[in-house]
Amino acid sequence: MDERLERYAELVVRVGANVQPGQEVFLLADVGHHELARALARQAYRAGAAYVHARYTDGHVRRAMIELGPDEALTYAPEWLKTFTAAMSGNAMIATTGDPEPELLADLDGERVGRAVAQEIVQIRVQQLSENSVNWCGVGAPNEGWATQVFGEPDVERLWEKVAFCMRLDEPDPVEAWKKHLARLAERATQLNDLHPDALRYRGPGTDLTVGLLPAARWMAGAGDTSTGIYYVANMPTEEVFTSPDARRTEGTIRSSLPLVLSGQVVRGLELTFEQGRAVRVEAETGADLVRSHFATIENADRLGEVALVTKESRVGQSGTLFHDTLFDENATCHIAYGAGLPFLFDGDPGEGLNVANMHVDFMVGGPELEVDAVLADGIEVPLIRGEEWQLA
Amino acid sequence: VSDNGDRLARYAELAVRVGANVQQGQEVFVHGLVEHVDLIRALTRQSYRAGAAFVNVRYDDQHMRRAMIELGPDEALTYSPEWLNTWARAMAGNAQLGTSGNPEPELLSDLDGERVGRAMPLEAAEISRRVHGEHSVNWCGVGAPTEGWARRVLGEPDVERLWELVAFCFRLDEPDPVEAWREHLDRLDARAAALTELRPDALRYRGPGTDFTVGLLPSAHWGSARFRTAGGIDYVANMPTEEIFITPDSRRAEGTLRSSLPLSLSGQMIRDLRLTFEDGRIVQVEAKSGAELVRSHLATIENADRLGELALVTKESRVGQTGKLFYNTLFDENATCHIAYGFGLPYSFDGEPDEGMNVSTIHVDFMVGGPELAVDALLPDGTEVPLIRSEEWQLAA
Repeated sequence: MDERLERYAELVVRVGANVQPGQEVFLLADVGHHELARALARQAYRAGAAYVHARYTDGHVRRAMIELGPDEALTYAPEWLKTFTAAMSGNAMIATTGDPEPELLADLDGERVGRAVAQEIVQIRVQQLSENSVNWCGVGAPNEGWATQVFGEPDVERLWEKVAFCMRLDEPDPVEAWKKHLARLAERATQLNDLHPDALRYRGPGTDLTVGLLPAARWMAGAGDTSTGIYYVANMPTEEVFTSPDARRTEGTIRSSLPLVLSGQVVRGLELTFEQGRAVRVEAETGADLVRSHFATIENADRLGEVALVTKESRVGQSGTLFHDTLFDENATCHIAYGAGLPFLFDGDPGEGLNVANMHVDFMVGGPELEVDAVLADGIEVPLIRGEEWQLA
Repeated sequence: VSDNGDRLARYAELAVRVGANVQQGQEVFVHGLVEHVDLIRALTRQSYRAGAAFVNVRYDDQHMRRAMIELGPDEALTYSPEWLNTWARAMAGNAQLGTSGNPEPELLSDLDGERVGRAMPLEAAEISRRVHGEHSVNWCGVGAPTEGWARRVLGEPDVERLWELVAFCFRLDEPDPVEAWREHLDRLDARAAALTELRPDALRYRGPGTDFTVGLLPSAHWGSARFRTAGGIDYVANMPTEEIFITPDSRRAEGTLRSSLPLSLSGQMIRDLRLTFEDGRIVQVEAKSGAELVRSHLATIENADRLGELALVTKESRVGQTGKLFYNTLFDENATCHIAYGFGLPYSFDGEPDEGMNVSTIHVDFMVGGPELAVDALLPDGTEVPLIRSEEWQLAA
């Protein structure tokens, strides 16, 4: 048995999802991730799981549906899948990323690819996020296809080393290292919460964007408690502090700084222009149709749901690797998401400023030239990020 | 498209069109092991081409099962998640395709046989049995060649050779496989009709280690695996299929049966199984390996200790002609005569099943045929009519 794989899985189960004795555990993995999924199942049972459910998804099955299936299939949510998803409430979930064939759907009609979302399933997940009823964790599952995308050759071992570095598996005591790391990020979130910015201003190549913030929305780092008090880390790695913006107050243009692998297509050079909170123009070198299809067919996908700040101490950033995977790349640099906001950032009712949508897509905007300022209520601008470094004391 | 890609597509097409006979607008439920990914993708594509409204795919993973049996709590073993029950219920009125061919047939061999035997989602199995009993699913089980399976069959991971064998059993070498299947099934149905007309009261098996009599039910008829749903969809439940079968009177089985081929079951290998029956029930289980697994079935699953199926296969069988032991019930049961303990098959009855049909949540086929096995029909007047000698059919037709 691969010892690194087992240690990795153990860290995810114990620190990430923090599986509790007697909980059921739901594994969501690409069929190409079965080695990691198996290790996660073993570690989950060792942690006292009552039962481990595994749901393997398959990009080729999805491709067949989009290419050959009827129109109604695209958004169909089978009853058994609704039951499966709903059962995650009160239980633990671990999802794996790392697309073995990131461009599998590249030759398909972007409009159909964009429409192919089982919205009822997403709705259940959004509800669970809002109730904060699932202790969950997303992690990477190195595989040949992903390694080829990253390095140009199927060097899985090298990808494993990069991923293990981002996961702090090289530390003598990874659990302790994660504790310290999460405390550092939590400190940043506290600084921002004390600052009470009214808006963020982004400036950089192709970017001049102002995003309003909501007084009731907290800044958060990647760890927190479920509604029943289970402390978990939703993404591993995680290097961000983030909040949900006021979806009604976004103005200007933002240009993505890294390619985005999304639904079997690659979105490159994405440029979005916002007026009164809504994206009114979508340009991209590739994948523009997919994003346009999201905006056209999914309600409120054209408004923002998240802004996140990442600096160059990030282990993902330090790895110097473009992972072509959102879980990693969004933790290398600042990012923004269109679609659903994050209701768990609010102590009470989020109110109308929080975006509600059956979709949440992060894209990367950070880089050495990006400047991010906090705009305070009295108009004062406070630098937050310069040269990918944190500017607050 | 390479030759192999083409063969895979033709194989999947035959399974979808002739096997499950997927209808325009039906949902299709496909399930198999993660290692069967290539075939499952091909089945999915062919199902959509046949007009499926949606293809549901469920990948199972034996290593998950191993982790559960080895490390999970006792309650996990028989737990039937609600989503799986929902899946089983949703098959009603729809099509189902299952793939078999174990890449690691002994993955669970070092685990406690008693726990392996108990590990079954009973509620989902019961729902599935009921849905099938209502003749509401057009379904088909097919083989999925993998390296591990090839190593078991051929001693080396020669997947290409295994594909050739499987394609031969599938009649893919025929110029018109669809027509070849129609003729083949007509032959089996003629054999079944002749035997049904003979109206035996019982079958008698004699051979090395075997002397066994099992009663038959007057309302049951012999048939091939060519079935029709209540809604009138014709389908072939197993591909390959070489058997004619019946559901026996589960109250009348006496004597001793010895299996003639090893049985790959739940990640364990059962070799040289010997079962002794009294008044329809198995009272003694012996085996060279895997006895604990079978005993666990009989001890923990109601009526697993009674018979549910008798099937006759002769040496014209394409599976038998390959001369290979496939370590896969779908194939091996179609190489030679077999018998199943556990639930009876409602397909044997035109209306309501006879009360002599066994009701259980499990159905395990094991092979008993071979050159020395003699099978006779016992008529109500005591006459014995030879059915099988030296693996050859003895009745006219």
